[in-house]
Amino acid sequence: MTRVRVTAPRSVARPAVDFRGTAEESAVGQVFVRSLIRSQLRLALVVAGGFVLIVGAFPLLLAAFPGLAESTVAGIPFDWLLLGAGIYPVTGISAWLYMRSAARNEARYRDLARDLSGDR
Amino acid sequence: MILAGTGDCAVNPAVGITAFAAVTAATAVIGFYGLRISRTTGDFYVASRTVPPWWNASAIGGEYLSAASFLGVAGLILLSGTDALWFPVGYTAGYLMLLLFVAAPLRRSGAYTIPDFTEARLDSRSARLVTSLAVVIVGWLYIVPQLHGAALTIRTTTGLPSWVGSTAVVVVVVLTVVAGGMRSITFVQAFQYWLKLTALAVPLVFILLVLRDNGAPAAAAADVNPTGLAPAGPYQNISLLVALLFGTLGLPHVLVRFYTNPDGHSARRTTLIVLGLLSVFYLFPTAYGLVGRMFAPGLAQAGQADAVVLLLPGRLIGGPAGELMSAFVVAGAFAAFLSTTSGLVVSLAGVISQDVLGGSVRGFRLAALVSAAVPLAVAFITDSLALAGSVGLVFAFTASTICPVLLLGIWWRGLTDAGAIAGMATGGLLCGGAMVAGAALGAGTPVWLAQPAAWTVPAAFAVMVLTSRATKSRVPHTITKVMTRLHTPERPLATGR
Repeated sequence: MTRVRVTAPRSVARPAVDFRGTAEESAVGQVFVRSLIRSQLRLALVVAGGFVLIVGAFPLLLAAFPGLAESTVAGIPFDWLLLGAGIYPVTGISAWLYMRSAARNEARYRDLARDLSGDR
Repeated sequence: MILAGTGDCAVNPAVGITAFAAVTAATAVIGFYGLRISRTTGDFYVASRTVPPWWNASAIGGEYLSAASFLGVAGLILLSGTDALWFPVGYTAGYLMLLLFVAAPLRRSGAYTIPDFTEARLDSRSARLVTSLAVVIVGWLYIVPQLHGAALTIRTTTGLPSWVGSTAVVVVVVLTVVAGGMRSITFVQAFQYWLKLTALAVPLVFILLVLRDNGAPAAAAADVNPTGLAPAGPYQNISLLVALLFGTLGLPHVLVRFYTNPDGHSARRTTLIVLGLLSVFYLFPTAYGLVGRMFAPGLAQAGQADAVVLLLPGRLIGGPAGELMSAFVVAGAFAAFLSTTSGLVVSLAGVISQDVLGGSVRGFRLAALVSAAVPLAVAFITDSLALAGSVGLVFAFTASTICPVLLLGIWWRGLTDAGAIAGMATGGLLCGGAMVAGAALGAGTPVWLAQPAAWTVPAAFAVMVLTSRATKSRVPHTITKVMTRLHTPERPLATGR
C-alpha cells in the first residue's frame, strides 16, 4: 500500500484556470462582477424573505382561525399536518426557484463577460 | 448479565447489542471498500471533489441527521407538542439558507475548511486562528450530545452502563477516521442516511398497521399534554428559528462537504437534493412524536421522552416482530451517532492538524484522537439534557460566531479581520455565557437566557459591521480578486456553452 504524504492545503487550494482572472482586470469587467453579486444577493434576500413570510403566516393562520387547528385530515390534526409536513414543500419550491434564477443570473454574466473579452 | 441499575431495559438486550454490532460491521466494510480508493493526497481531506451529487447529498444528509434528529425531535414533540415541530422545520430550512447565501460562493472560494476561507478572504492569520478556535468549540459542543444519545440508547436497550455507549461510538469513529480519511467517510455517510431513513420508516409502517387493526386513533389525543409544560411563547420559537436557520450554515462538518462538489452550480444542486432528503426524513420523527403522544404519553412522565423512538416499536407491536423493529431503530440510532460524530471528528481533525500539528497524516490521526477524546470526557462529566434542546444551543453558538463571518465575508466587501475577530468574540462570549448561565440556573433559567440566539446573533453582526467600519484601512487589497472568485461561475469562457 502506498503512503501519501498529506501537506496542508492551507491557502486557497488551486488557482483559477478559467476566465475569472482576465474578466476582473478591466474596469468594465468589475462592473459586471459587481452587478452579478448584487443581483445574486437581491435574489437570495427575496427568496429568504418570501420563505420567512410564508412560514410566519402559518402560525398566524392557525391563531386567526381556531377551528382550523382542531379539524382533522385522515385522523391527523390539521395544525400538525400544516407545521409537520406543509412547510417542507415550501422549502423545496423556494430552493428550486432560487437555483433556477441564480443559474440564469450567472448565464447572463457569462454572456456579458464573453462579449467583453470578444471585443478586446 | 450486569444491569446498571438505571432502570429496567425495555428491549431485549441481545437486540440492542446485535443492532450495534451490525451497524459497526457495515460501517467498517464500507469504510474499507472506500479505503482502497483513498490513495491520493486530496482524498484524505475532501474526497477529491469527485463525488457525484446524489452520493454527496446522501452523505450530507447522513452526516447532518444526528442524535438530535433521530431521537431528540420525536422526544421533544412528545414533551411539548406542536411547538417542537419548529425543530425539524428549522433543521431543514437551515439548508435553504445555506443554499441561498453560502453554497456556491463557498465552493468557489476553493478553500478546504472554514478557517481556510477566513484566511483567504481576510488575508489574516489571526482571523484564521480565531475561526479555528470557534470551529473546534462548535465541533466539541456538537459531539457531546451525540455521545449522550449513544449512552441513552445503550442504557435503554441493553441495560449496560451509559459509558459503554459513548465509548463504543468514539472508538469506532476514531478507528474509521484514522484508517480512511474522508473518502471512505463519504460512502459510509451516504449509506447511513438511507439506513436511518429505513430504520424509522419500516417500523412506523408496522406501528400504523397495528394501530389500524386496533381501531382508529383518537385524534383528540394529540392535544394531550403529558408533562403539563406551558406552551412556548413567540420569543422562544423565533429565537429557536434564528438559531437553526443561521446555525446550519456555520456547521463545520456540513461545510466541508461542499468542497466535494466539482463546481458552484453542482454545490447548489447537491443542496437542493439534501433539502429533499431532509424533508422526507423529518416526516418520520414527527410521526413518532405524534404517535407517542397519542399512545404512550407515559414515556414523557417517566423522563424517557428521548427514547420514544427506541421504545415505541416494542411497546406497540410486541412479540418477535416488535423485537425485530426495535433492532431496526436501534441500528438507525447508532448510524446517527456514528455518522455525525465521524463527520465532526474529520473536520475538527482537519482544522487542528493544519493549525497545530503541521498537516501531516500522522498529525491528522493524532488530531482525530484528540477531537474525539475531549468531548468523550465532557460527556462523562455532564448530564444529558433533552437532546434536541442541547443541539439547539450549539446551533445558537454557531449562528453567533461562524455564521456572521461567512455571510459578511461572502457578501460584504467592507469586512475586515479586526471586525471578524471582534464579532466572533462578542457572539461567542455572549452565547457561551448564556449557555453557562443556563446550565448553572437549571430549570429556573429565564427564556432569554435559555434561547439566546435572538439577541446574540444580531449583536455579533452589529459588532462585526461596526468594527469593520472603524477599521476600513484594513480591508485587504486582494478584495476585488477574492469577491470575483467567490461569485463568478467557473466554466471556461473559451469552450462556450
